[in-house]
Amino acid sequence: MRRVTLNIRKLVLTSVILSLLVPMSVTAAVPYEGYVWNNLGQDVRSVNGYIYEDSIDGLDMSSGGFKNPESIFIAADDTVYLVDTGNNRIVHMDEHHQLINVFGTEGTGKLSGPKGVYVKEDGTVYVADTKNNRIVMFDSKGQFLQEFGTPTSALLGKDFSYSPSKLIVDKRDYMFVVSDGNTKGLMQIDPNGQFKGFYGANHIGFSWARLFTKLIASKEQKAQISTVNPLEFSSVDQDEEGFIYSTTLGAEFNQIKKLSPVGVDTLNAGVERKYGERFANGPFSVHSFVSISVSDSGIISALDLQTSKVFQYDILGNLLFIFGGVGEQNGLFVTPSGIAQTSDGMLYVVDKGRGRIDRFRTTPFADLVHQASNYYVDGQYEESAIIWHEVLKFSANYDLAYQAIGKSLYKEERYGEAMEYFQLARNKFDYSASFREYRKEYIREHFTWIFRGLILLVILVRVSIPRIARRIKGQIIEEGNPH
Amino acid sequence: MSTLRMMQQIAFHPYDFFENIQEAGRIKWSQGIVLILLVFVARMVAILLTSFIFQTREPFEISAFHEFIWIIVPWISFCISNWAVSTILNGEGKFKELLIGSAFTLVPYIFMIIPIALLSQLLSFNEKGIYSFLTITTFLWIGWLLLLGLKILHDFEIGKLIWITLITIVGILIIWFVVILMYALMNQFYNFFADIVKELRMRA
Repeated sequence: MRRVTLNIRKLVLTSVILSLLVPMSVTAAVPYEGYVWNNLGQDVRSVNGYIYEDSIDGLDMSSGGFKNPESIFIAADDTVYLVDTGNNRIVHMDEHHQLINVFGTEGTGKLSGPKGVYVKEDGTVYVADTKNNRIVMFDSKGQFLQEFGTPTSALLGKDFSYSPSKLIVDKRDYMFVVSDGNTKGLMQIDPNGQFKGFYGANHIGFSWARLFTKLIASKEQKAQISTVNPLEFSSVDQDEEGFIYSTTLGAEFNQIKKLSPVGVDTLNAGVERKYGERFANGPFSVHSFVSISVSDSGIISALDLQTSKVFQYDILGNLLFIFGGVGEQNGLFVTPSGIAQTSDGMLYVVDKGRGRIDRFRTTPFADLVHQASNYYVDGQYEESAIIWHEVLKFSANYDLAYQAIGKSLYKEERYGEAMEYFQLARNKFDYSASFREYRKEYIREHFTWIFRGLILLVILVRVSIPRIARRIKGQIIEEGNPH
Repeated sequence: MSTLRMMQQIAFHPYDFFENIQEAGRIKWSQGIVLILLVFVARMVAILLTSFIFQTREPFEISAFHEFIWIIVPWISFCISNWAVSTILNGEGKFKELLIGSAFTLVPYIFMIIPIALLSQLLSFNEKGIYSFLTITTFLWIGWLLLLGLKILHDFEIGKLIWITLITIVGILIIWFVVILMYALMNQFYNFFADIVKELRMRA
């Protein structure tokens, strides 16, 4: 017995010494697994598109650390504007994360709990100064320029409470403002600070339960039922062409919208599309997209607070990547609140809970997918198909690749092959479309044979059917008169 | 008369068919089994042949065993329920006639479903109407044959036939409910004794 313990002790000792001697390679594993939702509604494995690179916490800068930062904006020159909500300031950093400026801390431009920022191409900064109920304009040096207070309008009503949280500014210098708790849509405010109407409001869907209650409830009962409001917007972003992208809180579908200049959703025209996670545990989890960022090529990245995951979609709303999650490891988030991206495709996610910005870089797989998707959107189908084939070598579960290859084969009028790929993508509609073309082509090519076959068939039917009929009749008569 | 000839007869002369099978010795139990097997085979072949466009399920969702169960259970429970109900309410049909007769009413399915599946290979989404029209026609044909069979075998008037059919459907639901209940109870019963045995063995 003693010998055995001794041996074990020896073994442990040697292994400890060995482990000290052998240099350990320090590679942190990615704390999340890559997956996508396929066309059957299953979560299938895929390759990770984004991997944690590093964090910016501000502690090494003269600005000091960040406190509960709410959102982030990356300007066209890749400089970073962080809304440091807890410290009531805007921190401006260059592309190498060196401090340029800190502003909004004094004078008339002193901020109180700001939640959003937007920077125009000329460097003018618009800040949603939430607790002061105003929007403040700074110049590119951080000097106070102008403020826009609570707008007044008959449309807004008397009890309107204004708390701007996110905003964008379009080419006409009109501001589109998300006001917390406002369910009527984005607020359009002109360059003079005048309210110009609501924009792109969400609609209340039809509900049988509501119709039923309306039918049977008495006046008093109806007064007690809380009024149903449309869902509120939670964030906005704008692409190169001036389309406005919004996220909606608490919606089950069409949480992400791409609004045209007249406020019509062009991303989900006429369909109900589910974005974000597909929750299996019923109505207990609510989608809560809190931030959205659109790249120059139209790729949409949206941040969901409920799952603390980032969902990336292509320009048509097809899911590309999912990453992140709740946790303390690097790459996971405590309370993520904002997302933005640089021109080279790096994603910056603000983690309010940890007071820092986490940077994520693309993997080679993501670069391939983005490239293929760009070609595809540009109409260069052949080039895109070549890259999509590469994508499939990484991840055979990528339905989008099959679909895109199918589409490109279809455009090349190779319908038979297109059908195969549409079947792999489980897209019956496109399969049917290419099948129709295939059938047309087949009939045209084999017309003489089909025609001959038809003639033969007609002759056969003309000759054989009367014969069979006669025989059956004969038999039945035979049975009718047993011998 | 051979099974094949009878299949032909029910398709084209159903009145004669149901009159004929009431004669003694005309039908055999084996015919019912053969027909149900044919239905099963036709169904499996049709599933294999149906084009991707009209396939509502993924291949991994289809199980031959489940398909078989979904044919045989409704058939048997319908016959039991109908026989029980109509015997109480002065129906003249015998159980054997009902069982074999209703198996024969599935003949249109055996003949139609494979050609329909083959045709689906030539159709696109736009011609979905043709596909569903043919499928629905087949099922209506079967339904009509079934009602006709019940009417002739039991010698009912139309009103009573409809009434009995409705009760039969309720009866089927009751049978299924009782069977599922019995299964659950038996399961509990079995587990109870299994647990006792386990307990005793642990203590020993």
